[in-house]
Amino acid sequence: MNPQFVVDGLVAGAMIGLGAIGVTLTYSILRFANFAHGEFITAGAYAALALSGLLGAFVGSVPVGDFSFGWNVLLAVPLAILVTGGLAILLDAILFGVLRAKASAVIILVIASFGASMALRSLLEFVFTSQPAYFTNELQIAVRFGWGLRATPDQLLMLAATLVLILAVHLLMTKTQVGRRMRAVSENPALARLSGIDVRGVVRTAWFLGGGLAAAAGIMAGLLVQIRPYMGFDLLLPLFAAAILGGIGSVPGAVLGGIVVGLCEALAVQTVGAEWRAAVAFLILTLVLLLRPQGLLGRARS
Amino acid sequence: MIEILGYAAFFLTIALSYAVIALGLNVQWGQTGLFNVGVAGFVGIGAYASAILTAPDAADRIGGFALPIPLGWVAAFAAAALASLALGWLTIRLRADYLAIATFGFAVTVQLAALNLEPLTGGPFGLGFIPRPFNGFAGDPLVFGLLNLALVALVLAFVWWVLERLVRSPWGRVLKAVREDEEAARALGKPVTRFRLQAFAIGGGIMGLGGALQAHFIGFIAPENYLPTLTFQVWTMLVVGGAGNNLGAVVGSVVVWGLWSGSSFLIGAAVDPADQARAAALQIVLIGVALCLILVLRPKGLLAEVLTHHRRPAGAQAQDRPATR
Amino acid sequence: MSVSQRPSSATPPILEVRGLVAGYEESLPIVRGIDLDVSPGEIVAVLGPNGAGKSTFVKAVAGVVPTFGGRVSLRGRDVTARPAHLRVSDGLAFVPQTENIFASLTILENLRLCAGILPAALRQPRIDAAFAMFPDLGSRPNLVAGALSGGQRQMLATARALIVDPAVLILDEPSAGLSPKLVHDVFETLERVRETGVAILLVEQNVRAALSIADRGVVLAEGRLRHAAPAAELRADPNLGALFLGSYDHAEATP
Repeated sequence: MNPQFVVDGLVAGAMIGLGAIGVTLTYSILRFANFAHGEFITAGAYAALALSGLLGAFVGSVPVGDFSFGWNVLLAVPLAILVTGGLAILLDAILFGVLRAKASAVIILVIASFGASMALRSLLEFVFTSQPAYFTNELQIAVRFGWGLRATPDQLLMLAATLVLILAVHLLMTKTQVGRRMRAVSENPALARLSGIDVRGVVRTAWFLGGGLAAAAGIMAGLLVQIRPYMGFDLLLPLFAAAILGGIGSVPGAVLGGIVVGLCEALAVQTVGAEWRAAVAFLILTLVLLLRPQGLLGRARS
Repeated sequence: MIEILGYAAFFLTIALSYAVIALGLNVQWGQTGLFNVGVAGFVGIGAYASAILTAPDAADRIGGFALPIPLGWVAAFAAAALASLALGWLTIRLRADYLAIATFGFAVTVQLAALNLEPLTGGPFGLGFIPRPFNGFAGDPLVFGLLNLALVALVLAFVWWVLERLVRSPWGRVLKAVREDEEAARALGKPVTRFRLQAFAIGGGIMGLGGALQAHFIGFIAPENYLPTLTFQVWTMLVVGGAGNNLGAVVGSVVVWGLWSGSSFLIGAAVDPADQARAAALQIVLIGVALCLILVLRPKGLLAEVLTHHRRPAGAQAQDRPATR
Repeated sequence: MSVSQRPSSATPPILEVRGLVAGYEESLPIVRGIDLDVSPGEIVAVLGPNGAGKSTFVKAVAGVVPTFGGRVSLRGRDVTARPAHLRVSDGLAFVPQTENIFASLTILENLRLCAGILPAALRQPRIDAAFAMFPDLGSRPNLVAGALSGGQRQMLATARALIVDPAVLILDEPSAGLSPKLVHDVFETLERVRETGVAILLVEQNVRAALSIADRGVVLAEGRLRHAAPAAELRADPNLGALFLGSYDHAEATP
């Protein structure tokens, strides 16, 4: 067996893990499965594409070092993260927040997220068309390691960036007041309120974080593959599988779950064939629900 | 005139086959409060099961047993019901939205299987030559159309009648009790999980039957018929009609299918062919926004109050139940 | 302690409730017009039969149950429209009956979380003060709170509420589910808290224990205040038992 699937799987898994952190955070704080999360990924990628196009006029788009993209893309990343985080907050303000205020059942929120997913995705398709788009047309030469392994400089940068982001989120959740507040609200919103915490503020923070991380994952997917209106929706099942495999509410779990899903997908591509990739996440999901519904790092409850 | 009549029959036949699917979803969601995001998967399973069993033999494919159409419909119901049973058994005891995620994954996988199991499903090219009821009258489109409309309406009426009987049966009363107060039903020793599982399987089976109806009416199926857009359409039909009442599901299906095909027709006629894909995207945006608006402004459905001023929509209680914790 | 030790009516009340109407549905209020004053350093026990609205009453004061009429004032300021989380910074702390700690956070994290609304310079001193008051908690700050026993949980819940240095502390059935020894410990703690000038509003089923530390008792029935008396007087009342059969107010209402 060609060990290259480990590199491919790790890169894909890192991306899935980033997206799954957002799923697990919003799920544990808002208590519903947000089917529009995939569209945050897509929106983030398109936001970065549009912004990098704009910035290209000022800073040019000559590739930086060995990477395939220029400063215009690098500068667009933080902006796209902000925009997508803002989009998530906006969607909560005009849709989910209104439904929560009316004390709607969880499932109504899930249906609404389904409708929002459809609308957002089609809106992006309307604006950007269904033609695939790319951040750059530059080709890259892969770096070879031992054992027949190879990776492009872009892939290595993605891995490093993911590692930094994951570490940052982990520290945020465990060491800061913002993180403690999010954990408190996810465990018991009523008690959080009685502890002087503005729950609505925490909810906005969670949306912003989830949307921002989704944008980061979307930009990675866009750099490594391509940007399409369905890119996020197609990632939704792997994201859910990763979040549930890791244990809902657990940030390290989401990352671990993402890497497992990414590796399994890469292995399946090599052994079974690329056309069955999308079924891997469903298989993993089925196994987790069958054997350990609380997930690898989750607490047993519900 | 005859052309318009023929088109009306065609339109209504499709709309009523959607109504069958919406009735299936209504059993799961409206009557039982179970959220299925994989409607397209169950519809697809039914369509393919019936098509494979009834289509004539073909050299390059497994299947093609040329069985009678009614047998295909029974198989469609059974296959989709079994799939629902398996999926429900896996997730129904867990959080409410785990079922949603699992059904979503199921639909993705069914579509993938339809695309890749080429020897069985025809792969991306789909399955043709699915026998059409009353094919002997195909020479006269109007008669053919009206006969098919009558057949689909008959199946719809039969499903409706069975469901109304079920709701009034002891089984339906337990289901109602489960919906209104799960703890109390449990305390009375009712096997709550088994009742919900049965309802989920029956609903899934009806969706499969609906899928088979459509397949046999059109005579051709392909994987792209069973994308999440289908799930979204059926949900919109149920939400517009008002979950929990069968009349709402049927009226919602006709109204939403009318809007959908009407706006598609307008786009086809008025928009430059180069821009039609984008216009179609805008169409989905509008319907998605409309669905969200209905959920926010009229969560019991647009038609529920008009249609059921004398009885309370059964879905109301299901929606009041907190789903987790 | 004797009744005369209580703050006299000359001390202005720190918590003033006037005509409070509250519940979960406006058409069906559970609290139907209650007046109550509590002064600094005073312990008031809220008593009454099951379903009298005791718990709903204190939750409405804390802002977690919707209020449909009347007024709640804290330090002379109307807080009726303030959401629950802002009433905490106004000086009102509430300890719910169950799920009153964050089980997935450590002891220290529980306290730090609640100290978050204080100015930065005050946080550590308040946490130190809490650990000084509850040495049991201070000895293992990094223990996950979910691992604590029932009595320790009640301690942490009280410490959690006190961390913001509230003017009014409200406890909903703090003795529920605890052994007599632990009930004694909890109530002893409340006496110490009272000595720092905090006003305490205490909902209790354990009437004898509550009246042993309270200055006054108020009896609720059907969402209304039926009787208010010094604790000593209630303790001596032979009809006290009847209170919880729901017949006490009935006997009073019939001349």
